[in-house]
Amino acid sequence: MPKRGPTSTSRITPVHTAVPGRARLQIQGLYRNDALCRRLEHALEGVDGIRFVQGNPLTGRVLILFDSGHGLDRLIGCIEKVLDEQGAKPSSRVSQEPSRKPSGMVREMRQFAKAVRHPSGKGQRSAPQAVFRWHAEAGKEALERCQTDPREGLSYEEAMTRLMQYGPNQLAASRGRSPLSIFLSQFATLPVAMLAVSAGVSVATGGLLDAGVILGVVLINSVIGYVTEAQAERTIQSLTGSAARTAQVLREGVEQSVAGEELVPGDVVVLTPGAYVGADLRLLKCHRLTVDESALTGESLPVTKQAEAVLAADTPLGDRINMAYMGTTVTGGSGMGVVIATREASEIGQIQALVGKARPPETPMQRQLGRMGTQLGVLSGLVCTGVFVAGILRGQGMLQMLKSSVSLAVAAVPEGLPAVATTTLALGINAMRSHNVAVRHLDAVESLGAVQVFCMDKTGTLTLNHMTVVDLRFADGELRVKDGDVLDGEQVLEVEDWPGLRRLLEVVSLCSETELEGESGAYDLQGSPTENGLVELALQQAIDVPVLRERFAREKVYYRSEHQPYMRTVHAHPRGGRLLAIKGSPREVLDLCSHYLPLHGADPEALDDELRERLLGQNETMAGEALRVLAVAFAAFEGENVPRQGFTWVGLVGMADPLREGMAELIGVYHQAGIRTVMITGDQGPTAYAIGKQLGLSGDQPLKILDSTHLEKMDAELLAALVEDVHVFARVSPSNKLEIVQALQRTGQVVAMTGDGINDGPALKAADVGVAMGEGGTDVARSVSDVVLEDNNLLTMSAAIRQGRTIYGNIRKTIHYLLSTNFSEIEVMLGGIVLGLGQPLNPMQLLWINLATDIFPGLALSLEPPEPGVMSRPPRDPQEAILRPRDLRRMGLESAVITGGTLAGYLYALKRYGAGPQASTLAFNILTHAQLMHSLSCRSEQRQLFSFRRRAPNRQLLLAVGGTALAQVLINLSPGMRRLIGIAPLGPLDWLVVAAGAVGPVIINELSKPAPLSPGKQATKEEETA
Amino acid sequence: MKRDFIFTSESVTQGHPDKLCDQISDAVIDRYLARDPLSQVIAECALAGGVMFVASRFASSVKVDLADVAREVLREAGYDGNSGFNADDCTVLTSLQELGSRDFDCLDERQMDEKALDRFVAFNQVNSFGFACEQTPSLMPLPISLSHALVRHLDQERAAGNLPGLQPDGQAQVSIQYRDGRPWRVHGISMLASHDDRLGREPGRLESFIREQVLAPVLSDFACEQDAQTQVSINPYGPILGGGPKLHAGLTGRKNGMDTYGEYSRHSGAALSGKDPTRIDRVGAYMARYAAKNVVAAGLARQCEVQLTYAIGQARPVSVQLDTFDTASIAEEELLKRVEAVFDFRLGAILRDLGLRRLPAAHPAGFYRRLAVYGHVGREDLELPWERTDRADALLG
Repeated sequence: MPKRGPTSTSRITPVHTAVPGRARLQIQGLYRNDALCRRLEHALEGVDGIRFVQGNPLTGRVLILFDSGHGLDRLIGCIEKVLDEQGAKPSSRVSQEPSRKPSGMVREMRQFAKAVRHPSGKGQRSAPQAVFRWHAEAGKEALERCQTDPREGLSYEEAMTRLMQYGPNQLAASRGRSPLSIFLSQFATLPVAMLAVSAGVSVATGGLLDAGVILGVVLINSVIGYVTEAQAERTIQSLTGSAARTAQVLREGVEQSVAGEELVPGDVVVLTPGAYVGADLRLLKCHRLTVDESALTGESLPVTKQAEAVLAADTPLGDRINMAYMGTTVTGGSGMGVVIATREASEIGQIQALVGKARPPETPMQRQLGRMGTQLGVLSGLVCTGVFVAGILRGQGMLQMLKSSVSLAVAAVPEGLPAVATTTLALGINAMRSHNVAVRHLDAVESLGAVQVFCMDKTGTLTLNHMTVVDLRFADGELRVKDGDVLDGEQVLEVEDWPGLRRLLEVVSLCSETELEGESGAYDLQGSPTENGLVELALQQAIDVPVLRERFAREKVYYRSEHQPYMRTVHAHPRGGRLLAIKGSPREVLDLCSHYLPLHGADPEALDDELRERLLGQNETMAGEALRVLAVAFAAFEGENVPRQGFTWVGLVGMADPLREGMAELIGVYHQAGIRTVMITGDQGPTAYAIGKQLGLSGDQPLKILDSTHLEKMDAELLAALVEDVHVFARVSPSNKLEIVQALQRTGQVVAMTGDGINDGPALKAADVGVAMGEGGTDVARSVSDVVLEDNNLLTMSAAIRQGRTIYGNIRKTIHYLLSTNFSEIEVMLGGIVLGLGQPLNPMQLLWINLATDIFPGLALSLEPPEPGVMSRPPRDPQEAILRPRDLRRMGLESAVITGGTLAGYLYALKRYGAGPQASTLAFNILTHAQLMHSLSCRSEQRQLFSFRRRAPNRQLLLAVGGTALAQVLINLSPGMRRLIGIAPLGPLDWLVVAAGAVGPVIINELSKPAPLSPGKQATKEEETA
Repeated sequence: MKRDFIFTSESVTQGHPDKLCDQISDAVIDRYLARDPLSQVIAECALAGGVMFVASRFASSVKVDLADVAREVLREAGYDGNSGFNADDCTVLTSLQELGSRDFDCLDERQMDEKALDRFVAFNQVNSFGFACEQTPSLMPLPISLSHALVRHLDQERAAGNLPGLQPDGQAQVSIQYRDGRPWRVHGISMLASHDDRLGREPGRLESFIREQVLAPVLSDFACEQDAQTQVSINPYGPILGGGPKLHAGLTGRKNGMDTYGEYSRHSGAALSGKDPTRIDRVGAYMARYAAKNVVAAGLARQCEVQLTYAIGQARPVSVQLDTFDTASIAEEELLKRVEAVFDFRLGAILRDLGLRRLPAAHPAGFYRRLAVYGHVGREDLELPWERTDRADALLG
């Protein structure tokens, strides 16, 4: 190959071309662009003379092996051609896009993603989808391009063909680390490197056996690390899966529901409120269509769409009002659109292609622990160097000291702190899953444990959202309803005997939009909760609603409006003429009435003023009891003109939405756990008050209700000042929940918020813990939440909080154990050498301690069951570091006590046996056992080890401690192991000393802990709810 | 007795934040009593930063939507439009506490005999004052009567829409010069009226409107004219744009002077509004006025102040005092004796004789809330039991 300067073009820069037949080239636009990478590889592999192509989107470079006969220039020409085929120039596209709306992160990703439009994922080959500026074209043109008829949609055949061609409309799930990379990562750590050095030194000095042992240690460590991390990885990966979604599409002229994955370009999609937009659409028809695009643009206000608009080509994504994008949701209105891009060709697909690559971000705790681990690692490293220097000064052999201090470093450096957190959090997620809590983000577990305020929806969350008739009032009688029976006092009434009651039930069954589906006797009522409740009572009273509705065929419906707060329906009367049924606001309905129907008699009687007053009084009394009150009346008339007065009053119906069972107790549990509870409702004051009182939301304090229909108009600072002690937000709309969350967060609180509706999305996202309801919750709510309660049961939430607190505690316990024992190892070595007592432990012993005492007891501690008082304590301060200075002091103290015990035993042995294996064996055994005992002490920050109070045992810990102790005894008994580890047999007296040296420190440490909370205070409520 | 002096009283409109709070507090009382006359309620109100705070402690069989009450009052006071503060948009923070023990639980004065009424006892050590004088037909001091009449007229003009742009917040202060103990001339009048931009651009229009449509008719009603020396100031410190809760805060019970006699006589420091009639610090003032007014109406004195002092746990006042400022036609000792004989000052008797707990039910548009603006005493627009002069004959003996 002729020697000449590498040719570079504007887009391709040769990086390394010195070796003939091998070139490394920098390609513009390849950086972080998987799709281009695959295209390049695919295209170039087909070129004659090219033997191997490997691109790397992380560096933006491509490595090519080729027959050196072919010139480099030809190669560059080929690549240029591939780049040209892309059509749009990536760099210019990015700059064209005035990215005004998207939030920071999204914007960045979009810029990376912008370049190329047809990736193929998951190994399935899929044809590239064409890219046009759809928003700059009329809808008709889009239809032509897609070859679709807007009235017919695609044929089944065509849809299938396109599905085969373009692949299923599915976003590639984020790829986790492969098992191999997890396994390999176990070796790429500092301790392993040090061990390798140590092994090398051993080999060099002829200690092949030592080297073998070291390699064994490395292997065992790695396998265990792999197993736990792979498990955690699986759990974390499983979080990203989302629920199956469907879309309404036109196929062969018929509107039908298909799975979201089956959408293909050209499909005509029908949009209704609450629908998830399953693919990128060019809108064809809109009727007041509003779409929440926050998932895509970060804009929390819904965007109003207009199909007719044709926009400039450079219109930013957030302003393309004639498009609807995959991943967004319809918040109102209706519309129709044609699919123009699916799967990874969609806007969100391009973002996700990049997001998917990124690991879930580290949680604050993981970051904190990572930082701390590094600091402590450096510190331990310094101490180990100190041990080395001190040893040399004390006249220990250079080589010996080198091996010792490396081993010490390996044993003492707390390398796995972030991994502890990850593993424990993942274990916690699994535990919660068994409680029907689906956690969607790793850090949600952490936040769960810190929740300070819990905001709950009233309707459907605290209550059943099942309106039930409880009270019936007639002009001449008051009846109660209980379990479907109508009661007069204690007496159950038969509807046949009471014409007034019968008429009331008939009117509410007729003046109703509730549909009866399913079989007679087991109807499924489809309608609003209020109307369902009324029809339900009619059915319970053996009114045959379908037959009734057949006899009185409905001719017309007048819905309630602001000025006419009642609903009217016109029915054909079987005996000629018409019947007007009416139900609605009592005062207004009464104004229309001139007569009333007595409960006891069949004929209407005239209403006088006194009676009117009494009826209004009934209404007020019922409203005061927090009931939803509706008046029921009717009129018979002839002809076409609907009467405006002269109605006959039948009675008042009082309805309530009953609380779910156990809610008051639940609120008590939260209060006990120091969590403030807030109810959010659209109800009026008295209803809100009645329910707030029933729930005990304010404890024994006055109940504070914030009544506002326009929270968004309030000054944010002012709202933040007010919300601190509000128990109930009344008359607020769901969209105001965002203001409530933000106001609470302004006061520095960690906020959890429930939601299930379309409008709840922004609030759930803003909350520290967004809690979505599993059953009946909308996709929006689920997709932005942190936690999903699959059984819709708030009781589950307290289990989740309890679990969150436990997990946080367990991470602390594990770290506490790991650090304090590591400290003790360093201190023993440092102490021995500084005091001129020689090396208390040899390298092999240190490695054994690292292997035996760190791993299993540490893992077992992360599985600790919840402590009894965990739900009687206030939530932790979210600002507090996971390891506080006083924790470190405490660890220092505990490790010093353990060191004291070990060195005391070591001194005794030195006195008795002199320096040598005997003494170090004693120190080795004492330290190992003391550490194992210490793990039991680490179960609680309070004094508990010697208390007789029952506490759920940690079987794994007992097993780990027992097993390790047994192994320790076994190596003492086996001559082979003794030789390997360098220990001597011990006599009975020595074993006594070991026992004393190991148990003594635990007793001292345990006694120096604070006494536990008084027993009566804890372990009461949460035991019941567990 | 002082003879030649100048005295000033003031009153504020319905839309003044302090008065809004008083009206809301009393509207809450009305709502409870209208449906459960035996309710016991304490309602307090504050208005700041566009947020309404309503706190209520109650023992009642009915539930009241405090926020709804508050909005209704605000709407009626004129905060219903697009001005800065709006009855429907404003946030209402309510704090509700049920009183655990209903001390008067089953005590219904209508079902009780004379003796049993002793079971109604005072909860506080309280001084209550009542006053009457011959300065006006309603037997009230002239400065406060004039002030009330001015703000009431201003409110009516605004409600009628006679001056577009006029806002609900306003105030009137009236100084009367006395000679020989009798009102002699109007020394000065100052009025504040809030308004919007429209009037802000032409302040002259507001001033001439108030002079011609408010001052002139009211003064002629009272048969007193302003003279050349009378100082009249209207919005003396420039335009008051918006006004109301956006401009300044309000609190229940801060306008005790104008609630009673415009500081012309003594008044108790305790608020009158926001208390149900079992609170002696409220109804004691009514009863004292009843007694004083009848004394003057009977012609037994030209001016009379009655002071009742109650002690905790006692039904009857521990002290009844009377001062006629040397205007009595009979000996004060004798007068006091007659007063004590004619009026039963026990709490239970006050409730019964004035029918205080049933008044809200009899007045669907509200009873106590009407008192919370333009004064609790000397009202001629309302039929107040304590303004009756039906005991005058008895006093004459």
